[in-house]
Amino acid sequence: MTVAERGGGPAAGRRRSRSTAAGIAAAGAPWLLGAALAAVPLLGPGPNTIRLLFGTLVWVTTSVAWNLLGGFGGQVSFGFAVFYGLGAYAAAVALNSGLDPVSSCLLAAAVAVLASLLIGLPTFRLKGPYFAIATIGVSEAVRVVMTNVAATGGASGYRVMERGPFHQLQHYYSALALAAGAVGVSILLRRSRLGLALVAVREDEEAAADLGVNPLRTKLLAHAVAAALTGAAGGLHARYAAYVNPQGEFAFAISVAILLMPIIGGVGRIWGPVVGACIYGLVHDEIVAAFPELHLLIYGSLLILIVLFEPAGVVGLLDRWWRALGRRGRMRAAAAP
Amino acid sequence: MSAADFSNLLIAALLLAGVYAAMSVGMTIIYGVMKIVNLAHAGFLMLGAYFVYELYERGGIDPLLGTLLAFPAFLLAGIGLHRTLIRRLPVSDQPTLASLLLLFGLWLVLQNLGYLIWGNADRAILTPRTLSVLQLGPLTIPTVRLVVFAGAVASLGALELVLHRTWFGRAVRALMQNRDAGRLAGIDVERTARVAFGLGIAFTGAAGGMLAMLYSFSPDFGAPFLLRAFVIIVLGGLESFAGVAAGALILALLETFSIQVLPASYQPVIAFSLLVVALVVLPGGIAGLWARRRRWA
Repeated sequence: MTVAERGGGPAAGRRRSRSTAAGIAAAGAPWLLGAALAAVPLLGPGPNTIRLLFGTLVWVTTSVAWNLLGGFGGQVSFGFAVFYGLGAYAAAVALNSGLDPVSSCLLAAAVAVLASLLIGLPTFRLKGPYFAIATIGVSEAVRVVMTNVAATGGASGYRVMERGPFHQLQHYYSALALAAGAVGVSILLRRSRLGLALVAVREDEEAAADLGVNPLRTKLLAHAVAAALTGAAGGLHARYAAYVNPQGEFAFAISVAILLMPIIGGVGRIWGPVVGACIYGLVHDEIVAAFPELHLLIYGSLLILIVLFEPAGVVGLLDRWWRALGRRGRMRAAAAP
Repeated sequence: MSAADFSNLLIAALLLAGVYAAMSVGMTIIYGVMKIVNLAHAGFLMLGAYFVYELYERGGIDPLLGTLLAFPAFLLAGIGLHRTLIRRLPVSDQPTLASLLLLFGLWLVLQNLGYLIWGNADRAILTPRTLSVLQLGPLTIPTVRLVVFAGAVASLGALELVLHRTWFGRAVRALMQNRDAGRLAGIDVERTARVAFGLGIAFTGAAGGMLAMLYSFSPDFGAPFLLRAFVIIVLGGLESFAGVAAGALILALLETFSIQVLPASYQPVIAFSLLVVALVVLPGGIAGLWARRRRWA
């Protein structure tokens, strides 16, 4: 698959040749970004800004999670809403039965991991489109089941009753911590043996298997990690919204959003999904408000255009501009004397 | 269950299987020749339904004739689509990230164009045929289902003729078996793929018209049928036309008889469970099972 590899190889080489100052800046930027986001509440923003940032951070987590499997592993899933929704429901039930927020989120992640194994075990054993199509069906099937489960309120949804006052900033910091954790997992995974195995499976499953990589185990592991992060994000959202319902948490639009964000930003890269989720999270409400009937049409067209003309997304586009700028600079320097 | 009930359900399942086969065959053609999963399948089913609906409401054209007219219209649309978008995808022997995302984006566009044009109200095609029933002793057969079944079988027969009696059909079958060998034998891969894509879309659009005579529809119409079509072609081994017929029959039988034990709202779960079972038990589909039998024998 060429979508992601375009930037991966040469970028690594470039990074080494870059001056140390730029290297330090590149390594420091994520910490700076994290620190800035952690300091945002000191500026005294309104609750609406915090809500927007909270939502964006939840999206960042899911977007980075999708990229672990879809970007590094090349396995397209149209059904991440399943993990998001199951995580939301698991956390909601756990909170209502008196579990503390951290354990509830862990439980949400565990439930999502279980679901990921159920989807992955039959479909990952075969090469081909089986996994991608099965994920379209699975969210449909889970939504139908959840609409009919009486214990969680069926179609009318399920309310989260948490004791104690509502601290918006506590929610904000938990989302920030999870998003930072997701990016950390993404960086570590990309450098790990599992990450290399994933990329190998994406490029050529048979060749990878010949070299001793177990494709089934590799894909299942990446799917499980991605599911855990997405489930935890769903759990955080459920706790914040204090209400979950099948039409909301398992909506097809959630799966579409989770897939769209890494594609916009740059699939198969570390920072692409983060950029994509930030753009989506900050702009989505505006787009829906401005074009209530057109927004999915816009997203669909965007998907087509990106796939055909800029498969590496926004980050890839910036990368190309940056390189073109550098080339022009070098040429001017060479022409000067 | 009395014998009459059983026969009625069996007939209903058979009639349903015909439509399911016609609905899935377009996906098989496209997958077989180009190794692209047509995720926009649902969108074209929906457009086919509205195509027939508009012809009937505005022009008073009988839905059956409308379905026939859908063939050339969607053939041209499919060929145009291949020229503008699909051609730009990298050629591969298995579905790529890019092809899945491109067709998924196309589905979103089609679906929301539908919402834009027709709104989200459910529509239905009501003709004098819709509610009439054929009574044969204890058996009751809805006329419209019988008519649609006949249409589906006729279209599948025509496809069979094209595939086995024309140069284009032979080229399609050759490319399904081995693309490189086909190219060596002098087949224009790009042109064959273009017409095959058009043909796949034509079948899908016409099947949408057939389904519109049986069910009410909205721009969201095709989604459950996308999964059904995929289950059917997986059961059929992805690239076999006889397999599609068998897969359609299995799914139709399961769905029809499950009404006895499962509430109707659980129908999407049936298709999905069947997919999982098929992947675990017969990864090569029914055709693969046959091949294995033959090897053992």
